[in-house]
Amino acid sequence: MGELSRVAWKFANRMSIPPETETASQISNHPVDRASPQNQQEISPSIRSAERPIKIIRPPSFSLATISTGLRTLAQYSDLLYTLSLFRLSVRYKQSALGWTWAALQPLALMGIYTIIFTRVTMVATGGTPYPVFVFSGLLPWIFFSSTISNAVNGLVLYPNLLTKMYFPREIIPLSYLVASFTDFCIASVILSGLMLYYRVPLTWHMLYALPIVLILAGFAASISLFFSALQVRFRDVGLAMPFLLQIWMFTVPVVYSLQAVPARYRTLYLLDPAAGLIESFRRVVINGVAPDLGTLAFCGAIVLASLPIAYAFFKSSESTMADVI
Amino acid sequence: MIDLKFDGVSKKYKIRTNGDSPKRWYARRFAKRSGQMWALRDVSFRVNEGEALGIVGHNGAGKTTILKILAGITTPTTGEITIRGRLAALVEVSSGFHPELTGIENVYLHGAMLGMRRSEIRKKLESIIEFSGVGRYIEVPVKRYSSGMYVRLGFAIAAHLDPDILLLDEVLAVGDAAFQAKCLERIAELRKQNRTIVFISHDLAAVHRLCDRALLLNHGSILSDGPARQVIDEYQQLTFADQGINADQDGEKGSPAQFTGISFSSPDPLETIRTGYPMVARLSYKASKDVPDAVFRVSIYWPSGYLCAQLTTETTSGGFMLEPGSGVIDFQCPMVPVVPGLYRIDLTLESKGQEVALRQRCATLRVEPGKIAYGDFHIDNTWTITDTASTR
Repeated sequence: MGELSRVAWKFANRMSIPPETETASQISNHPVDRASPQNQQEISPSIRSAERPIKIIRPPSFSLATISTGLRTLAQYSDLLYTLSLFRLSVRYKQSALGWTWAALQPLALMGIYTIIFTRVTMVATGGTPYPVFVFSGLLPWIFFSSTISNAVNGLVLYPNLLTKMYFPREIIPLSYLVASFTDFCIASVILSGLMLYYRVPLTWHMLYALPIVLILAGFAASISLFFSALQVRFRDVGLAMPFLLQIWMFTVPVVYSLQAVPARYRTLYLLDPAAGLIESFRRVVINGVAPDLGTLAFCGAIVLASLPIAYAFFKSSESTMADVI
Repeated sequence: MIDLKFDGVSKKYKIRTNGDSPKRWYARRFAKRSGQMWALRDVSFRVNEGEALGIVGHNGAGKTTILKILAGITTPTTGEITIRGRLAALVEVSSGFHPELTGIENVYLHGAMLGMRRSEIRKKLESIIEFSGVGRYIEVPVKRYSSGMYVRLGFAIAAHLDPDILLLDEVLAVGDAAFQAKCLERIAELRKQNRTIVFISHDLAAVHRLCDRALLLNHGSILSDGPARQVIDEYQQLTFADQGINADQDGEKGSPAQFTGISFSSPDPLETIRTGYPMVARLSYKASKDVPDAVFRVSIYWPSGYLCAQLTTETTSGGFMLEPGSGVIDFQCPMVPVVPGLYRIDLTLESKGQEVALRQRCATLRVEPGKIAYGDFHIDNTWTITDTASTR
């Protein structure tokens, strides 16, 4: 008898659960009759099946063939690159009072401090250009280059959920930082034109060379970002080393001083770094108003053409195991 | 047409013993090689267009690995997979959300991550917002959302994908009952449109309800492949067998008796168990010593987890003396009153009111449609009609 009352009590308990739960359990008690002819009729003759894409998944391999398939997938997800870059910019300035002004404020502040150091504390030869414009024209491409790398390297590990729970071409994450930094570069370019007008630096047609120069610089930033962001997933040492590596790197490229300050016999060695050659060329065409050294540009272009496919292939081959090792 | 094809797929994981870090360079020379684990081993199967395939198995059997390989999140170690058509995976519906962005911005971002075009999202935006039911909160950063709103918005986006093949992993496990009902409704709709579905779940009742066919995975290999009903039965037996081994080793060591099996059948060998028709439950046991005042109980639970009914040897005068040896107890039930469905079974043995052996969730009882029953139970009845006007 005791058992019976226990059952009755449990049963009463069950009756008191909210109505939604009741509905759910009802569904579970009446399995849908799948074979009914009524359901069969509702199946539309498959028009969609005509142009269905076929995808084949195989174990990963490091080969340059992965580049073409990778680029095709990337093209399919081009809207994601656009959306993600857009939101990188909007998220960055959310809940900040100054908002977009920050894009201009950072290079301006650096310009101020370097101007004080290199005109009051010690002197740097600029070949007659006012130092603020001189340093700003170097800071502009450098900040574009270095902020892309420092953000992109941490980009993949920042939200591990994205890597372990969903699929999209992972290179979109580092590339979206490149696009965002490029937007900042464009904003800061407006400031540079203002400075040039203020200091009466003449504008010449040679400035148009800046476009291919920035394009090559972006390609170089992309290959470094792809390579090291993929490596960072496995070895967090990359993210730890990157801030001070970039700091050292900045003093090995002509940002705060000019190429003329480097002893002539070291100059060839110095220009082996594409970043140095590109930043020097950028300043030359914008501030000095002369044509760039085409040899240097061709060399930088060749380096980028060689390194970008290798970095991308490396990225794509590590992509397949990113979710497992992160 | 075959939509999905797995050909000899294996997946190996390296197990790092040194936490999650790579071996330090100075320790590498002395350390042993790290271990390996095969999450999948030579798995081959095919899914036809319009078919709903359920994948069942214990934790760590390789279910999620299959889904991750299909979704492209990770790649196989060997083998080849062919996918025909657009595929969408719902692993965690709101994992792509950025907390600082508003609802609308997240719809665009998450939709793009799932492979939707911006124009496509723009067209479906109204409908997504309505489905999610977040209303005016759509303009608010999602970090201000309740967890329910978060999940609802995530599913609303996913529900508006238009995939040829849909992968579902335990998505029904989150959200309240109303949300689950909405998910099921949407999945049923997709099924009607002849979409292919791969469904991974521990909820066997849901697998049974949604899928025609099922795979049973065990330690990375396919143990069986067939009609959902049959595979679920096999999974239940596997569970029972596994627990039996465990019980021998530790759980019931001190126990004077053990359960060795439970089966439910109809007395008519050609019939299944159906609402309103008879049933026999056969419980087998092995006793190593005397069990005084013994009471056997077979508890039958609703899918919701509440006790539905119990078969017991208890009488008003208490239990009986169980002597050492093995034997079977047959419960004869003249009529099964419960509505069709899957019920879970617990087995208990009591001695002098104390529990001495327990086997939880060790089997399922499947009741097929028989006599018409609405609500929870069938009340056996006859009926007559009397015309009261003519007797006057």
